[in-house]
Amino acid sequence: METLMRYRWLLLALCLTAAHVSAQTMPIPMPIDIEIGYRWTDVSGNENMYRTQINEDEGLLIRALTLATSDLRLDVSDLGAGPAGALRLETRRDGWYRFNLRYRRADAFSALPAFALGQHTFDRTRDLVDGEIEILRWKAIKPFIGYTWNRYEGPGTTTWHVGQDEFLLSQDLRDTDRELRAGATFEFGSVSGQLTQGWRTFRGRETLTLAPGANNGNNSDPVLGRPITVSALTRDERTDVDTPFTSFSIGGQAGSRVRVTGNFVRFAADGDATGADDVTGSLASFAISRFFNGIAEESASRAKNTTWRIGVRGDIAFTDKVDLTAGYRREHRELDGSALIRTLYLQSVTFGGADPRDFEVVLRAENALRRDEDVLDAALLVRPVGPLALRAGISQSNLDVNVAPDLAEIVVDGGQGGAFDRRVRTFLLDGSYSLGGFTLGASLQSSGANDPILRTDFLERDRYRVRASWKAPKFVRLGFVADETQQSNDRPGIGYDSTLRQYTGDVVLTPVEQVSLHASASRFHADSTILFRHPENFRIDESIHVERGKSLEGGVAVTWPRASFEGDLTHFENEGAIPFKLDRSRARVTVQVHGTFGIGAEWARDKYTESAFAVADYEASRYGVFLLLRR
Amino acid sequence: MKPYTFLLLLCLALTVRAQEAAQPSCGDCHDEAKAFVTNPHARGAVVKGVVPNDVCTTCHGDGAEHIESGGDKTKITVPRGLSGANDTCLLCHEETRGGMHANTNQVNCLTCHSIHKSDPRSPHLVAKPQLALCGTCHTQAASMRNKPFAHRLDRGGMTCSTCHDPHGRRAKGERSLALLGHLRTTRAGEAPCVSCHTEKRGPFVFSHGGLETGECTTCHETHGSSNPKQLVRATVQQVCIECHSPIAAATLGSQPPSFHNLSLPRYQNCTTCHVAVHGSNRDPQLLK
Repeated sequence: METLMRYRWLLLALCLTAAHVSAQTMPIPMPIDIEIGYRWTDVSGNENMYRTQINEDEGLLIRALTLATSDLRLDVSDLGAGPAGALRLETRRDGWYRFNLRYRRADAFSALPAFALGQHTFDRTRDLVDGEIEILRWKAIKPFIGYTWNRYEGPGTTTWHVGQDEFLLSQDLRDTDRELRAGATFEFGSVSGQLTQGWRTFRGRETLTLAPGANNGNNSDPVLGRPITVSALTRDERTDVDTPFTSFSIGGQAGSRVRVTGNFVRFAADGDATGADDVTGSLASFAISRFFNGIAEESASRAKNTTWRIGVRGDIAFTDKVDLTAGYRREHRELDGSALIRTLYLQSVTFGGADPRDFEVVLRAENALRRDEDVLDAALLVRPVGPLALRAGISQSNLDVNVAPDLAEIVVDGGQGGAFDRRVRTFLLDGSYSLGGFTLGASLQSSGANDPILRTDFLERDRYRVRASWKAPKFVRLGFVADETQQSNDRPGIGYDSTLRQYTGDVVLTPVEQVSLHASASRFHADSTILFRHPENFRIDESIHVERGKSLEGGVAVTWPRASFEGDLTHFENEGAIPFKLDRSRARVTVQVHGTFGIGAEWARDKYTESAFAVADYEASRYGVFLLLRR
Repeated sequence: MKPYTFLLLLCLALTVRAQEAAQPSCGDCHDEAKAFVTNPHARGAVVKGVVPNDVCTTCHGDGAEHIESGGDKTKITVPRGLSGANDTCLLCHEETRGGMHANTNQVNCLTCHSIHKSDPRSPHLVAKPQLALCGTCHTQAASMRNKPFAHRLDRGGMTCSTCHDPHGRRAKGERSLALLGHLRTTRAGEAPCVSCHTEKRGPFVFSHGGLETGECTTCHETHGSSNPKQLVRATVQQVCIECHSPIAAATLGSQPPSFHNLSLPRYQNCTTCHVAVHGSNRDPQLLK
C-alpha cells in the first residue's frame, strides 16, 4: 500500500495518458522511452555526510519514462528510490483545453557533525503537486484554474536553550501549503496580459519532546552550584497563514516600434500561531534571577505581511538592431507582528533561596517593519552590427527600511531598529565580437552605494567578465571564462573587503560523430575580510574567509549502432577555511539487445575527504541495472 | 442545387484530392518529417499519422521548387542562427523576443532549441538535457555544482529553469525589472526560494532583519557551496557576527551580550540556541 501511495501521481498520470490515447485513433505506435531498474548502494565512512550531500538511495527506480504525441507529453525522471524525482504531464486539445500536471518529490536529509554540535538533523520529504487547466475555447480570453499542494514532513532533532542549558529535542514536523488560483489570459489586438487571483493557505504543525538520554543537557557545569537537568519536556506549535494574492500584467504594442508592459502584484499574508511548552526539571534563569522546577508557557501571536509591487517598462526599437529599454518598479512591504507570551516558572526561588512561589512573566510584544524600494533602469542594446554587439545600461535603486522592534527584542542597545536609506547606482557595459566561429565578449558592471543597511552591504562593487570561445563546425569547441567581483565598504568599524575570482576553461572534441570528448578546468578563489567585535571582551578583530577551489572534469561519450558508453571523472579540491577533496566518477553503458529492448548499467562513486575533520569522510558507490524500452 | 451541379462539384473535389494525393510528401525523402508526428509544432495537423506538407512549409517555405528540382538544397529555406530565429521562430513566439537571452549571433532560439533533433527526454524541444545545455555557456555556475553542498540539479526534480526563466519574460509578474530580471517568482511575486521552502516564508512576529532587508543570498550560496547548509562562510559564527557587530556605523544587526564567549565551542555554534534564525512567532531572541 505504501508503494502504491508513493507512486500515486505516476499512476494518475498514466491513467490520464491512457484515457487520452484510447480516445484517439493512433495510426502509428506512440513513441515511448522507458528506463526502469534497480540501484544498489555501498557506503563506507560517514553515511550521514553522504546522505546530507548526495542521499541516493537503494531501490527500484524509474530513471526515465517519456511518452509523446503532438498533443500529449509525459515525462518521468528519477522517480522511486530517492532522493528526488519528478513527473510532468502536458496535454492539450486545440480549441478546447490545455492541462499541465507536475509532481516533484525530494528527500531532504541533514546530519552534519560540525554544525550545531551535530544536534540539528532532519530526515524529511517534500512532495509538490501542481496542476493547471486552461480553457482554449475563445481566442481573446483564456480562463484558467490551478492548484498547488506542497507538503514537507518528517522527523528531525533540534535544541532548545532553556534554564541556562541546551537540550536535545526530537522533532516531528508537518507543513502543508496549498494554493488555489484562477484567472485568465487575454489578448485584444496588440494588447495582451494576464490576471490571476489566488488563495494560499499554510498549515504548520510541530511537536517536540525531550530526546532520549538528553536529560542533562549539553553543559555538565552546574549554574550557581545547582545542576541543570530536565526530566520531561513537550512542546507543541501550530502556525496558520492565509494569503490571498492578486497578480496582473499587461503588455501592448504602440505602433511597430514601441512596446509597453506593466505589472502589479499584491499579497496579504495573515498568520496566527499558538504554542504550548511544558518542562519539568532543575533549572535556572538569569533573566528573573531564580531557580525553578518547571515551565508552563502559552503563546499566541499574529503576524501580517502586506506587500505590493507595481512596475512599468517600455521597449523602443529604434531600428531592427538598436533597442532602448527602460523601466520603473516600486515595491512596498509592511510587516506587523504582535505576540502575547505567558510563562509560568514553577516552584521558583531566588538565587539566595528566598521567596518560594510560582512566578509568572507576561510578555506583550508589538513590532513593525516598513520597506520601500524603487528601481529605475534603462539600457541600450545594439544587436549585431557586423561582428559586434553592445549593451549599455544604468539602474538606480532606493531602499528605505524602517524597523521598530519591541523592547522585548532588545538585549543590548543599538543595531536592532531605526530608519535606513540605501541608494545603489549601477552601470553596465558589455560587448561581444563574433566572427567565423570565434567569439570574444567582455562585461563590466560597476555599482556604488551611499550607505549600508547590513554590515556586509557594499559601498563599491565592480564585476569584470571576459568570455572567449572558438567553435569549428562539428569538431571542436573551446571556451574560456574569467570572472572577478570585488566589493568593499571602507567605513570605519566595518572595513569590508571581498574578492571572488573564477576562471574556467573547457574543450569539447568531436573527432567523429559517434565520439565526443570533453574536459574542463576551473579555479575558484574567495577572499573576504571584515572587522567584528568579540562580545566577551569587546576586542576588535578581523573575520577572514578564504576558499581556494580547483575543479577538474573530463569525460567521453561513444555511440555505436546498438550500444553507447558515457564516462566522467570530476575532481574538486578546496583549500582554505574547510579543506576537502571530492572525487566523482560516473560510467554508464547501454546495449540494445533485441528490437526495441535493451539493458543499461551504471556505476557512480563519490569520495569525500576533509583533511582537518576526518570524521566527515565517506566513500560511496552506486550500481544500477536498467531495462530499456525505446520505440 | 441541381443534380449536375452537384456532380460537377463532386468531380472537381475528387480531382483536387487526387492531385493532392499525387503530390510528394516531405516525409517521402526526409525521415525527420515522419518523426515530426510527435512534435508540438504538428499539433492538430497530423492526418492519419502523416504530417502534411503544410506543417513543414510554415518554417521552410514553399517547397515546390525544391521538390521539382529533385531535392536541390538551395531551393528550400533552412532557418539557421540569428536570422532563422528572427524570421521564423519569433513570428509566432513573439513573447520571447528581447528577453534575458536576447537575440544575437551568439545566443538565439536555435542555440538552445533543436526543432528536429531535440533531446528525447527533455520537453520544449531543448537541444540537450538542461544542465548540459545551460552549462555550455554558464560554465562557472556549472562548476559550482561540483561543490559538496548544492541543490540536487542533476538527480531528478530541479533544473536550472526551476529558479531561472531562460527567456526572462518581462510581461509576467517578475521580481525585478532591473537589468538582471531573470529569476522566476512565486505567483504572489516572492523570491523563487520560497516556492519550495514555504516554511521560511513567514510572516513572523519576530522576523530576522537580515532576511527582510536583504535576501536569502545574504547568508546562502544558491548554486553550490563548500560550506555546510550552503552558507556563505565556513562557520556559523562568522555568518552571524559579521553583521552582529555594530562597532561604529549605523547598521542593522545587534551586539550579542558579553556572555557570548566566542572562544568557547558552546558560543561558536550560534544556532544551537538561536534555532529560529529565519524568524519566530514565539521568542524575541529567536530561541524557538
